[in-house]
Amino acid sequence: MARKAKRDLTIEQQLARGPIDLPFLALVLLLAAVGLIMVLSASYVSAMYNLDPAINTEGDPMYYFKRQFVFAVMGVAAMFVISKIDYQHFRWMSIFVLAASVVLMLLVFTPLGRSGGGVRRWVNIFGIRFQPSEIAKIGVILYFSARLSKRNSQLGPPKKWNRRTLVGRWGEKLDRVGFLELVPYGVCLVVVLGVIALQKHMSAMILVIVAAASVLFASGIRLYWFFAGGGLAAAALWFIITQTDYMKARIEIWRDPFVDPRGDGFQPIQGRIAIGSGGLLGVGLGNSRQKYLFLPEEHNDYIFAIVCEEMGMVGACVIIALFSLLIIRGYWLAIHARDRFGTLLVVGITTLTGMQVFFNIGVVTGVLPPTGISLPFFSYGGTALMIQLAEMGMVLSVSRQIAAPKAE
Amino acid sequence: MQVQKHKVHRGDHGRSNRSLFRRTIFLMVTLGVAIFLPLIAQLYKLQITEHTYWSERAANQQRNDVSVSASRGTIYDREGRTLAMSATVYKLILSPRGVYGSVKEEDYKTESEYRQALRDKREMIVDWLADTFDYDEEWLWARMENTNNAYVEVATELEEEDAEKVREFVQKNKLSEQLYLTPNSKRYYPYSSVASHVLGYMSKNENSGDNKVGAMGIEALYEDALSGELGRVVTSKNGYGMEMISGYEMYFDAQDGCDLTLTLDERIQAMLEQTMEKGIATYDVKNGAFGIVMEPKTGAILAMASTPDFDPNHYAAIINEDLQAELDAIAAEKGEDSDEYKAARKEARDKQWRNRALADAYEPGSVFKPITVAMALEEGYVTLSDHFYCGGSKVVVPGTNPVHCHKHSGHGDQTLTEAVENSCNVALMDIGLKMGPEVMWKYFNDFGLRSSTGIDLVGEGTQVFWAEELFKGPTGTMSVAISSFGQTMKVTPIQMITAFAAVINGGHLLEPYLVQSITDSDGGTVYYHETSEVRQVISEATSDTVRSILESVVANGSGHNASMAGYRIGGKTGTSEKRDEEGDDVICSFMGFAPADDPQVLVLLAYDSPRRSAPGSNYTASGTYISGGNITAPMAGSLIASILDYMGVEKQYSEGELAGEDTAMPRVIGSELTVAKGALQNSGFNVRTVGTGSIVTGQLPSPGVSIPGGSTVVLYLDETVPEEQVEVPSLTGISPTKSKEILEGMGLFLRATGVADYNDPSVIASEQSIDGGTLVSPGTVVEVRFVSSINYGDQ
Repeated sequence: MARKAKRDLTIEQQLARGPIDLPFLALVLLLAAVGLIMVLSASYVSAMYNLDPAINTEGDPMYYFKRQFVFAVMGVAAMFVISKIDYQHFRWMSIFVLAASVVLMLLVFTPLGRSGGGVRRWVNIFGIRFQPSEIAKIGVILYFSARLSKRNSQLGPPKKWNRRTLVGRWGEKLDRVGFLELVPYGVCLVVVLGVIALQKHMSAMILVIVAAASVLFASGIRLYWFFAGGGLAAAALWFIITQTDYMKARIEIWRDPFVDPRGDGFQPIQGRIAIGSGGLLGVGLGNSRQKYLFLPEEHNDYIFAIVCEEMGMVGACVIIALFSLLIIRGYWLAIHARDRFGTLLVVGITTLTGMQVFFNIGVVTGVLPPTGISLPFFSYGGTALMIQLAEMGMVLSVSRQIAAPKAE
Repeated sequence: MQVQKHKVHRGDHGRSNRSLFRRTIFLMVTLGVAIFLPLIAQLYKLQITEHTYWSERAANQQRNDVSVSASRGTIYDREGRTLAMSATVYKLILSPRGVYGSVKEEDYKTESEYRQALRDKREMIVDWLADTFDYDEEWLWARMENTNNAYVEVATELEEEDAEKVREFVQKNKLSEQLYLTPNSKRYYPYSSVASHVLGYMSKNENSGDNKVGAMGIEALYEDALSGELGRVVTSKNGYGMEMISGYEMYFDAQDGCDLTLTLDERIQAMLEQTMEKGIATYDVKNGAFGIVMEPKTGAILAMASTPDFDPNHYAAIINEDLQAELDAIAAEKGEDSDEYKAARKEARDKQWRNRALADAYEPGSVFKPITVAMALEEGYVTLSDHFYCGGSKVVVPGTNPVHCHKHSGHGDQTLTEAVENSCNVALMDIGLKMGPEVMWKYFNDFGLRSSTGIDLVGEGTQVFWAEELFKGPTGTMSVAISSFGQTMKVTPIQMITAFAAVINGGHLLEPYLVQSITDSDGGTVYYHETSEVRQVISEATSDTVRSILESVVANGSGHNASMAGYRIGGKTGTSEKRDEEGDDVICSFMGFAPADDPQVLVLLAYDSPRRSAPGSNYTASGTYISGGNITAPMAGSLIASILDYMGVEKQYSEGELAGEDTAMPRVIGSELTVAKGALQNSGFNVRTVGTGSIVTGQLPSPGVSIPGGSTVVLYLDETVPEEQVEVPSLTGISPTKSKEILEGMGLFLRATGVADYNDPSVIASEQSIDGGTLVSPGTVVEVRFVSSINYGDQ
């Protein structure tokens, strides 16, 4: 297709052809590259011993790396493609993405669904195996951003309530405190969370809530709703932690993994051994000993422990710094986005990424109680990486329409 | 259009955008920076602060450290007899988890059938173990039902024959995953309790982990040499226990332990221990005995013993009958679970483990006198020709009570030699006071009495002396006087014998020792003990003089009971009071050496507190006067004689000693009487004839039989030798001459030992080798031990 000359384009189209944000792109590619190297280092022992009963590596130590590499290449390609799309189109797409993710999540419970590690969270469509909850996260962000970006334009004259009826009086009251406008988001969240809850996928629920909350927060929803929501969440959390044996045991293990060193405490202990034995400078890239069948999930959720063991505190801090820069740059892009939709979208994606990094490293180092959240760009999982890169593509798409600073 | 819209909602928009900006900045700071701070703090804690801890944990699980055992060295005595050795035994391990897993539920139709099968299998194993090895069935069941456990040590030291039974049982029932053997090492002490205090024993301690290490004696002090070094193979391992591919390997060869050769002689040690036991039984000794046998010229310890003792094979068992009886009494009264019983048991065990010859300081008493005399002679304060007068007591410090000699009537005028023979306290006090504290203090130090001897054993005790200023000060005079005869200060037996050795060996204070040589597992000598002289204390000449005085003490004085015909024994008796204890218990001791002209062996023997027949009585229940001269000297004399015989030291008979060496009876049957008489008299025999005739038709004893020279042999002329057995008479209390007469009248022969002085009316038979009333053939030699019946005071 021949490229249209600039003069034939609308303003919108011209803006969508702006330059992408190079610092952000560089950070993404750097993290993806380092992550890929770490997958190779962390996974080759497991691949060689062909440990995972669900995956037959045939003893090829490069098995996981090769797959991850293919997905990374595809993911980078997808990122560029998506960055070319004028993100205004995401507005109308958002409802479909959200709806599709809900449908896909329900498909998990059909024959298309796949299990792994004792839980059923995957679907397999056209040979591609992925977690629909990953899509639900971005779906919620897209939909909330699209809807909330119109919030200001809807602030016309306040709706007239019939004060003679009870409904009217209550309606007015609820409208004034800003409750009514939250109802659609609430309904939407309840549906999505409900479906995820069916999969017993606590970490995905947390991430969806966090992502949704960040978009709502940035869009200017009154703060007391966050306090109320936070209070509610805290109460729920407190209830779950103190009232269910399962969570109680988890918290116990978190506080002191040595109460059950051969059982539930095994992974946290092995993780800490890996991190602690790394010291300041680490045992050297590729030299981890803990990956020799000691540390479970060493190329998935616990890959950061291998990073710490091999590259020491210095390497770990460099990785954290890269993530930190990525997140800061993300919010910088959000602030400079051309419109509210762009801002909210980038805030949502950046927050999601940041919280995943925080949760993962927090769990691996023992700051947070154990929950299964993977480390973006690092943890093994091709589709997750692709979706991650696709999300980065959306951020880059927004970055294209940022007006260049006026030359003065 | 957009512009217009913008204008309409400008205010709202502005506020809304400011809020958007502020809130995004808030998120940027929070999520971009703040949340990473606790993570970095945690990384710092794990990787920097706790780095060593986690690294160790990592190394522990990643390293496969297989130890290669080294066999512990053997301990030999001086003649190469094995005193301690290690051998392979087996640990018997039961895996209740294995037993549980070996019965599969799916193999049975019903739950109850499965339960029954599991029960049967467990019962089969438990019953077999209980029947074969007498293990506690209840204990086994309790372990068996704990199915989480895969490692129960049923036995730790199973001998080969028992291990064989286990192997058969396991093979027959296919139990290799459920009951198995792992090699272990066990220490054997073939002579049981002999030299137990010197050898020590092996036990686990808080640092030794699963291994036993030497807990006392030679085993403890030479632990490093004996144990050798465990070999190790260190490899990296992965989480499944297999080797890591990028692993490393290190090998450390096992180094077998070295063998030790001791100066100890098992035979002499056994003689010493038997002598101690015999004395304890004969004189009803309350607190046991201790003794040391030393080679005075080298400091080599030939034997060292202390009672009660223990069996290092079962080091915690109470083997002393008296202690066991005490424990039984407590158990009967309070029960075996009572605290009193446990405390008593611990005390009894500690008592058995205590090497008193090494650890317990005592007041040496009169045995110390030769040391005082030696220093006085050396410094010229006395000479052999000096005379001392003993009036029975001496006022040391005017205005205080006089210090009594043990003979309250006094010894009268005596030469130096006589004073020592009499063990006269007054004479010794005179000598001590003449020398003064400076000289005595110097020699206390020079004789090594105020420092450890340096013997290669752990747990050497410490002496108790006055403070130097006190001894040398104006109030020290009484101490100077009393210390001259060995009271009020305390030294350990090993210090005492080491100092005494210096007195008789030419003045050389030597370092006593037990380990003669150490050889490594290849047979190379890694250590050989050369005689180590600490200092020359007195001159050779002084030493000679003191030796002759001491020989005279045994020949004529209070040590007379130690004299043994044919042996030149010198020595000194002692009856030490225990001034720091209530009651009138004494330690009866004797320090003796032989031959007097060239000492080969030096013996210290002491009995602690012979029981008095009645309170205040000076006699034991058996009627022996309680003193070193009457109780210990005869025992020590026999012991020294046995040791010299064993060592092959030639006997020397002095003029006065009538009973000669054993001589073989020549063959005289068929000879003319006159010829026979001549031949026999040439051999030193007297002749008695029975019957009339001129040709010898029979002789008693038979040709070739050895009997003491001077015996009266019987020749039969035209008569047959009587063959009916005769009854051995009881000779206790009878003099040597009379005993000989009685025995020879019955066709028996006397071999006199001990104080064989025919002319001394106080010498009487104390024991005989064949008890009175026993039937024996004519011609049998009866050995009779003679002692002096004089009461030797020697306090």
